[in-house]
Amino acid sequence: MSLDQADPAAPPAAGPAPRKVGRRGGGAADRRVRSRRGGRWWTPWLFLAPALILSLYFKFIPMVNAVTMSFQEVQPYLGNRWVGTDNYSTVLQSHGFREAVWHTIVLAVGQTFGAMALGFALALLMEGQSRRLGFVRSAAFLPVVVPMAVVAELWRIMYHPTGDGMLNSILALAGMGPSGFINDPDTSMASIMVTGIWRGAPYDMMIFLAGLTSVDRGLYEAARVDGASRWQRVRHVTVPGLRSVFSILFILAAIRGLRVFTEVFLLTNGGPNGSTEVVMTLIYKLGLEQNRLGVGAAGAVLLFVATLILTVIVQLLRRRESK
Amino acid sequence: MQRSRWIGVGALASALILTSCTSGPAGVDAKQNSKAPLELWTRTTPGGPGEKGALELAAAFEKATGYKVEVTAIFDDFETKLQQRAAQKKLPDIVMNDATQIGTMHSQGLLREIDLGKIKDSKQIIGQGLQSGKSLDGKQYGLPISAQASALLIRKDWREKLKLDAPRTWDDFAAMAAAFTTQDPDGDGKNNTAGLAAPLSTKRGYASWYFSNFLWAAGGDFITETGKGKYKPAMTTPASVQAMQWFRDLGCKAKAIQPGAVTMDTPPTNETFEAGKAGMYVVGPYLLPRFDKSLGADKYEVVPMPKGPKDATVLAEGSSVYLMAGSDNRAGQDAFAGFAVSVEGQKKGMEGTTGYTVQIPVNTTVDIAQIRTDPRWKTYAQAYQDSGRYAPSIPNWTPVRQVTADAVNALMADCGLDINAKLRELDKQLADILKEQGIAAS
Repeated sequence: MSLDQADPAAPPAAGPAPRKVGRRGGGAADRRVRSRRGGRWWTPWLFLAPALILSLYFKFIPMVNAVTMSFQEVQPYLGNRWVGTDNYSTVLQSHGFREAVWHTIVLAVGQTFGAMALGFALALLMEGQSRRLGFVRSAAFLPVVVPMAVVAELWRIMYHPTGDGMLNSILALAGMGPSGFINDPDTSMASIMVTGIWRGAPYDMMIFLAGLTSVDRGLYEAARVDGASRWQRVRHVTVPGLRSVFSILFILAAIRGLRVFTEVFLLTNGGPNGSTEVVMTLIYKLGLEQNRLGVGAAGAVLLFVATLILTVIVQLLRRRESK
Repeated sequence: MQRSRWIGVGALASALILTSCTSGPAGVDAKQNSKAPLELWTRTTPGGPGEKGALELAAAFEKATGYKVEVTAIFDDFETKLQQRAAQKKLPDIVMNDATQIGTMHSQGLLREIDLGKIKDSKQIIGQGLQSGKSLDGKQYGLPISAQASALLIRKDWREKLKLDAPRTWDDFAAMAAAFTTQDPDGDGKNNTAGLAAPLSTKRGYASWYFSNFLWAAGGDFITETGKGKYKPAMTTPASVQAMQWFRDLGCKAKAIQPGAVTMDTPPTNETFEAGKAGMYVVGPYLLPRFDKSLGADKYEVVPMPKGPKDATVLAEGSSVYLMAGSDNRAGQDAFAGFAVSVEGQKKGMEGTTGYTVQIPVNTTVDIAQIRTDPRWKTYAQAYQDSGRYAPSIPNWTPVRQVTADAVNALMADCGLDINAKLRELDKQLADILKEQGIAAS
């Protein structure tokens, strides 16, 4: 017995239908088909219920709570106190907020484009069917799989600021350095960016590789027949063919870029001299380290709004372009 | 279709409203039951030696008094988890946590006042320790059970090789740091050693935490009390500026602090000292077991910090027992606090070889040398008694530590920065923080 039949309040369906066939055959058959295809109104909800309930309790309710908390001074034991937009002004007027926003944008832009350029180059190099390429691709993909904490520790060792540090000894071969890398306010930002690109590029490479398979081989041949050079084929065939891949990657990377936290927290925690302070590390300091959850929530809401706006803008641009 | 969609939306919305309106009234006054087991939270790694120590202390307490205790060890996100329990209005009965947490916990209303009249041996608790458990209004909200202070670790083999004496003044200290940096004390023919290991990252305010040993010894201060629980910023006083300048010269001029210090918190700094990359390190006693194992007890020595321009004040820290609000067994809470600071409790807490609950005893009638024969512990206990100084119990010390750490980190990372301008800016930030916490001297 199906669930449908168990419901006594269900509207008439299969049962009485044959009698009506004589008079208004067309309409009844129509209704019957519709009801059989659609089932009871709550059937889809029933199937959606597990996912909805899980999302409700672990996503939507916490999100609504976070928004509420952002307007409160959170003191769970004494009871939360409404403070209006105080938390927002604490975040917005905090020392170094503007610098943090600027650093976040610089880092996001640098990492996004750096990782996309490197990922694209890697994808072009590693496109193909050869079995050896599979191994090389997996090897190149490793940075994405390694936990960020390990990556940060690795790079800290490589960035050792004296002449016997790993990267510094390479720089010395070229007659440069030694650089302070993450320990020097002038180079810390670039150093973190390089780490981010190193980690992000292979991910982009994988998506580019998937996109490359969809580019029509015939176009390459046609271009070659027309006398296009290798560079021209990339410029005029591959890149236009990957337009949708670029925009997806751009959105993903930009969102990731705005939320950048782990590598900065582990490598410099915003230092030296605040040169790498980003929005998330600032929110972490103001909200979580100081145990002011309302302030932390306000910062998170601000970041969410920024991400939302960015996504909507990119979507609008894409839609306009496709028209 | 239309109808079903609205029903779905309605169900979602009502569920949301139901769940977000469950916060009840605050400040529950629980019915007392002296048989109820006491729930004790301690900030230490679960499964580690610290938890074992707490369990042993609890067992001794149960045996001595008959109350029941359930120990929970939590390390990561301890404060967040406490907040979650606060939201449920069901706090643990007792919390053992850092002494500096008193301001935050008290201002959140999580603590109940401790009646010293009910603590049998409260007269035997060391003065500055007892003071660290007082809130701004002078009431007792925390009871110290363990203390620690900083002392200077020196690579003994390096010092002997270069024929130097243990430093007695800041000048000696700077000279030794310079010698360790330039005279190749490890004899490998390479210029790869530094005088002082220092965690100067901004993470958790390490730079400020470390620098306080030098700032206070010079007579400087982060913030100064002006009386009646009011404070004013003090980072531009001559003594503070002098301390900052001296410490900065150590890094910028003598290059005697380990390279990369400005992005290092304690784990990499500990490794710097262990790996023989730095010859001195100012730390608390809790690292001795680790260094004995990794470096060897014969390779380094523990001496008191040298005297600065003013005195040899060092940072004192420790852990306290906090009696949490809303407990249904207040008699049991008092009994535990009383036991923890008693001679018996303090001795119990010092047992074992690692992960002691009690580092340096706070009970003045307990002689550390009787329980721990290692004379290095005596050095630490002496440093604590003579020169230990706690951070003040303002409502929230974290922002003060954060902004000072940012400034120290900036001045150490960028040797070209104008020190006076930076410290003036820091004072302004400190003034804002004090004002926000309602403790600014007008």
